[in-house]
Amino acid sequence: MATTEGDAAAPQRRAAWILLAPFLVLFLGTFVAPIGYAIYQSFIRVERAGLFGEEGTTSSFAGLRNYAEAFANNEFVGSIGQMFLFGVVQVPVMIAAATVLALLLESASARWPAAFRAAYFMPYGVPGVIASVLWSFLYVPGLSPIIDVAALVGIDIDFLGPSMVLWSIANIVTWTYTGYNMLIIVAQLKAIPAEIYEAARVDGAGPLRVAGSVQLPLIRPALLLTIVFSIIGTLQIFAEPQILQQVSTAVGNEYTPNMAAFDAAFNYNDYNLAAAEAVIIALTAFALSFVFLRLTNRGQR
Amino acid sequence: MRSRAAKEHGVQWSRRTALQAGLGLGAGALVGACGSGRAADPDGSVHLTYWSWLKDLQLVCDVWNAQRPDVQVEAVWIQPGPDGGYQKMFSALATGGGPDLAQVELRQTPAFLLVDGLVDTRRYGADAVLDRYEQAILGQVTFNDAVYALPQDWGPTAWFYRTDLLEEIGAEPPQTWPEWAELAREFRATDRYLDIFNPSDGSYFAALAMQAGATWFAIDDDTWVVSIDDDATLETADFFDRAVREDLVSTSLAPFSPGWFAAANEGRLGACMSASWADALIEGAAGTAGLWQVAPMPRWDGGYGSAQLGGSTTAVFSTSPHPAEATEFAIWMTTAPEAIDAQIEHSGIGWSPVPDHIGTPREQPSEFFGGQRYNEEVFVPAAEQQHPDWTWAPTTQQVFNELSDGFVRAVSGGSSLVEACRRTQTAAVEMLTDKGLNARAA
Amino acid sequence: MRRSSSARRTGRNPASTILVTGILTVVAVYFLVPVYWVVIAATKTTEDLFATHGFLLGPSVHLWENLTQALTYDGGILVRWFANSMLYAGVGGLLATYFAAAGGYALAKYSFRGREAIFGLVLGGVLVPATATALPLFLLFSTLGIANTYWSVLIPSLVSPFGFFLCRIYADATVSDSLVEAARIDGAGELRIFHTVGLRAMVPALVTVFLFQLVGIWNNYFLPLTMLADESLYPVTLGLANWNAQVDRLPEFYELTTGGVLLSIVPLMVAMVVLQRFWRGGLTAGAVKG
Repeated sequence: MATTEGDAAAPQRRAAWILLAPFLVLFLGTFVAPIGYAIYQSFIRVERAGLFGEEGTTSSFAGLRNYAEAFANNEFVGSIGQMFLFGVVQVPVMIAAATVLALLLESASARWPAAFRAAYFMPYGVPGVIASVLWSFLYVPGLSPIIDVAALVGIDIDFLGPSMVLWSIANIVTWTYTGYNMLIIVAQLKAIPAEIYEAARVDGAGPLRVAGSVQLPLIRPALLLTIVFSIIGTLQIFAEPQILQQVSTAVGNEYTPNMAAFDAAFNYNDYNLAAAEAVIIALTAFALSFVFLRLTNRGQR
Repeated sequence: MRSRAAKEHGVQWSRRTALQAGLGLGAGALVGACGSGRAADPDGSVHLTYWSWLKDLQLVCDVWNAQRPDVQVEAVWIQPGPDGGYQKMFSALATGGGPDLAQVELRQTPAFLLVDGLVDTRRYGADAVLDRYEQAILGQVTFNDAVYALPQDWGPTAWFYRTDLLEEIGAEPPQTWPEWAELAREFRATDRYLDIFNPSDGSYFAALAMQAGATWFAIDDDTWVVSIDDDATLETADFFDRAVREDLVSTSLAPFSPGWFAAANEGRLGACMSASWADALIEGAAGTAGLWQVAPMPRWDGGYGSAQLGGSTTAVFSTSPHPAEATEFAIWMTTAPEAIDAQIEHSGIGWSPVPDHIGTPREQPSEFFGGQRYNEEVFVPAAEQQHPDWTWAPTTQQVFNELSDGFVRAVSGGSSLVEACRRTQTAAVEMLTDKGLNARAA
Repeated sequence: MRRSSSARRTGRNPASTILVTGILTVVAVYFLVPVYWVVIAATKTTEDLFATHGFLLGPSVHLWENLTQALTYDGGILVRWFANSMLYAGVGGLLATYFAAAGGYALAKYSFRGREAIFGLVLGGVLVPATATALPLFLLFSTLGIANTYWSVLIPSLVSPFGFFLCRIYADATVSDSLVEAARIDGAGELRIFHTVGLRAMVPALVTVFLFQLVGIWNNYFLPLTMLADESLYPVTLGLANWNAQVDRLPEFYELTTGGVLLSIVPLMVAMVVLQRFWRGGLTAGAVKG
């Protein structure tokens, strides 16, 4: 906690601002300004005179028209719905897997925990794009050894078909980030004092009981952190579907909200619509995280 | 869900066919595209960059480069336009940068005009060659008396068919679409499909409607007039609605997809309505050599003898610091016989943009097509029987997406192709007004 | 730092060991399969890639040829891309850490008006998806004329709101006030105190923030995709995605892509394995407290 009662003395305040300045300036410039600009752009539309605007273009206030257009676009709305579906399944599965792995690794019965930890964490170092390229090879019939092996036992998998491709993407995301989330949980697990384990053992609790009543509640902060970041991450998914688009006809140009905004900006040159969509995405992420944190905080009180 | 638009020439290479085609080229491709860079050389020569997704374009540019040390052109490969190439181009234009020249499909040129991205080639000498181009195609890049891109290739359509399969039922190539429907029924009786109907690519349907005489977009002073629900279009849609309902066509095969090649090789497909550039793709069905020929398209009651599918231009970007030299090169690329021949040989382009030179390689009879000189016999006349007033709109890609979304719904039983056209009509007018342009229904 | 907890000592029998280790092994196979595949794939020519089974070596090993081809293609552009990534991630990460540390320290050790408001603002920034800022940033940079330059990717990489958050918490917890007071009495200026006392105490958090930012920038795809049109400025993620886009047209891009992917992930994976303990360290100490 800061030391002084009341504000710090003037030279100290000055120093504080000097230290703060670079970060603050950059933050304002690369976060606040763009969001402000996006909000501004989202309320504007461009009027074009002539066949293509060659006789002049004017910007005019558009009210909520861009937002209405965004919500009237079935693809964009569909993409948000798709991400909800994705998030509701993939995030719990990934966090649960990360938790189980963390608990297993930290349990008495695990051999070579350091080696396993390393193996699970390693995919985090692979950028999502590269992971998608890798997995896309593993999804394409004719190249994929997985499909070949499954065919040996008579299972016919189509990773890139319309019903499966969302989960193929989920697989890539899970593969990349489970280890990372697991490590955060492991860190929290290691912070549990030994006395608590002693007390549990004295009480006769077996490993499963310890996990449920002791460990899970105490790693709550880590779980919250990973879930919130995963929610935000889900809304941002872009690279994985874009790479899979090259091998799957089921992935359209507006498969995720980010792809839709990118599409609006660079395929249709409608920067105003793209700005509205970007604002919608940011607000949704913010709202979801906020609501989630609120709900869980209330439980904690 | 918006499906992947067809790449240049409607190619959906299966990896294996790409393999067979590409392995023959060997190291040639490695000579290709280098990184980009736009400075003029220190010795004063002009250095132009040309973004395109054509294969081995540098080899074509090198023909020019050898003759013109003062203007050197570097080809840079980018993804096909609908697959991310146009995004790159628009993004570059927005930053004020980008290449000097780019491959822009005919149907996409108006979209570039929305962002003032293209140069009027008439300001830099295109007047001298304008009357050499196929006029129907030139019309698609001419607006307000300015020619914003030079046609590089296009695809007059015809009817590729299996001579052996038609002989089996004792049939001749159909002259009208109702005759085609009859033939399709006979094929179904032998458990084959005559052809496919691909709902996810709006450009095929556009070609069919074009042949029937539809004019989806027209210009009235400064207003876009949209009529995707005109009589010709709706009649075409209705015809194929009935064909789909009667199961006369396969709706699950995408043209030139692995499934399509499998069906072709196994003799389950009788024909293919497509453009001239499809010849190279059909040749990928290696097991059927010598069994194909080309006939003119079946005709509607009115309309024209043929239509077009695909086609690109060589466009000069407005951000180029060397528009004059770039236009000069673009003129060479699109009209010089040596350039056209080189593009046919190395890059596999579609039909030549100048009727007086279809390309030396195309004047030979084809073994694969049973010895027929199909280019001269079928495609030259087809190129002359085109809709003369077809225009694209600045929102063509969006319209195609809307159309194919509706078609996919229709084909899976939800509604009809006619309904999809009506819906697309309403949406298309809205798309234009959303862009701040004047638009109305016809 | 606490010693590892003694959950281990609560019971251990051979049956559960086998079970648990078995599960862990199966899971490890899942995580390692793509890596194993790319190692095998990078030894094959394009023909063999299609003709032979993906998990087994082909008739001949072309690893050296593929890797050399990947490194020398197009004038060695893959090396250039690596260098670009290191520039964006390394320089960006270092400076971002420094700025976040300075800001977090300032917020922790000084009390002034607006302090909590700033903290709340930055915290909000953590919740905003980075991709939502990339597009408008592109428009802003275009107007300023710096889009499609090194700056366009570097500048956004210099800001780490999460790092700021971590550093503030860490500085609160570990930079001892008495040390700071003592230094003041000794006559040291505030900035001097930050650099000597503050930074030294915050090292574990700094390492965490640096690694977090490094990985984040290295993995970033949307930002450079939006900002860069010039291939020579690409980070390695964008470059390899570009190569992957060409496999349909030119078969040798299969070899280039598998070779390039292998080259790009091996150093990263090694780094992850070696550096994972720093993650644990920085995160335990206070950052994840409720």
